Amino acid sequence: MTHEDYKAMLHAHALSALDAEDARALNQHLAECDECRSELADWESTAASLALGVNPAEPSPQVRDRIMNAVRNEKQASRVVPMPQQSRRAVWASFGQVGAIAAAVACLVLILWLIVMWQQNRSLHRQIDLLSSEIRYTQQEARRANEFVNILSSPGAKVAELQGSGQGAGATAQFVYDRSGRAMLMANNLPPAPAGKEYQLWFIVGKNPPIPGGTFAPDDVGRGELFDQVPDQALESAVFAVTLEQAGGATAPTSSIYLRSGL
Amino acid sequence: MCLDVRHTDRLILRSEQPHDDHDVELLKAVAVKDEAGEAALGQLYDRYRVILFSVLMRILNNREEAEDVLQEVFLQVWRRGADFDANRGRPFTWLVTLARSRGIDRLRAIGSRERVVAEAGASEPAEEVSDAATDAIRSEQRGVVNSALSQLPEEQKRPLMLAYFDGLTQSEIATQLGAPLGTVKTRMRSGMIKLRELLSARGQYFE
Repeated sequence: MTHEDYKAMLHAHALSALDAEDARALNQHLAECDECRSELADWESTAASLALGVNPAEPSPQVRDRIMNAVRNEKQASRVVPMPQQSRRAVWASFGQVGAIAAAVACLVLILWLIVMWQQNRSLHRQIDLLSSEIRYTQQEARRANEFVNILSSPGAKVAELQGSGQGAGATAQFVYDRSGRAMLMANNLPPAPAGKEYQLWFIVGKNPPIPGGTFAPDDVGRGELFDQVPDQALESAVFAVTLEQAGGATAPTSSIYLRSGL
Repeated sequence: MCLDVRHTDRLILRSEQPHDDHDVELLKAVAVKDEAGEAALGQLYDRYRVILFSVLMRILNNREEAEDVLQEVFLQVWRRGADFDANRGRPFTWLVTLARSRGIDRLRAIGSRERVVAEAGASEPAEEVSDAATDAIRSEQRGVVNSALSQLPEEQKRPLMLAYFDGLTQSEIATQLGAPLGTVKTRMRSGMIKLRELLSARGQYFE
């Protein structure tokens, strides 16, 4: 295909409407062509304006709270916040008079009671957050399994086991695909992808250069999933491998292999 | 930002640009992931919740799923805010593209591809959503886009909608519409070119 052929595909790529083979070829061209990358950004802006044509709808107010709670939980998980130190002397200084002891005791009881209630409240909130995330996790698992079984039950379906190696030691993945090339990768125990990086799937056929597949980022427990299309030439016999690349993917692998299948 | 200097009627552009700069600053703040970043994420949510949720509702046609994906989108913004590159596009385009892409992923995951494709959400009555002072999108902008879309011939508009909101590829659209693939490709291209021209003429198109 020529540069002009690729240019004529950019508007459809902005709508993600290209068929898998065309999209793959265009992505390879985009990695090398500044002009097409810039024109694609232009078409993406036009495509995004379609969003302004839909009927406006308002999410329920709880969504904001759920997001902000999840963000706070992530922040707390990523660093230990030192507890503020209380100045006992400052507290007791105001209760220096013997006559004030009764009032102080009453205050103390009230404060202790408030602290207990506050802790109970926090603990209940934590439990609710935990249960919500467990439910979400279970729902996602069910969806993944559903899609996996869908492909697996298609005519000519195959499953490849991928084993971790090098920095991906300990990771595993299953890659399922059918005769039409519809495919899904389910990976577990992958190390987190650093900012600006994503994992990328590769199809290796014989001694030919690896054919680039889609990219994905694992979640905070190292699980990742990818829906992709197996290229025709890789349907019969291929090695499937996963490397860590720049976000958006590369045209040739640049990192060592994190996961790979046997032949 | 790369402004299109071919058009002089850019009233919306002029009022839009400071908001873009503000949103770029908010995304930069989010990327730091500190207290201020958390507040910035809250502000981005207040500005973009309606437009992103509207897109997700149009794609998924289910409040619970759409709210769940909206939450995923903002968590993604929190985790990967550093990936936003102001040289490559506007915050609006980045956020809408992210939400649309997550919405289509969810649509595929819940196996709704076989459902009867809901056309343009036409049967859904519009919710009463008034312009909040914080909202990134004003009703005038919706009006401009709807007016542009109404000027597209139906045969050009439909493939764009099926691709954007139903995640169908050109081949799938050809099957859905019972039209030859070549015809679908030509109509999509004509539709996108015309849409760009119409939005440019109204100053809505600015990159």
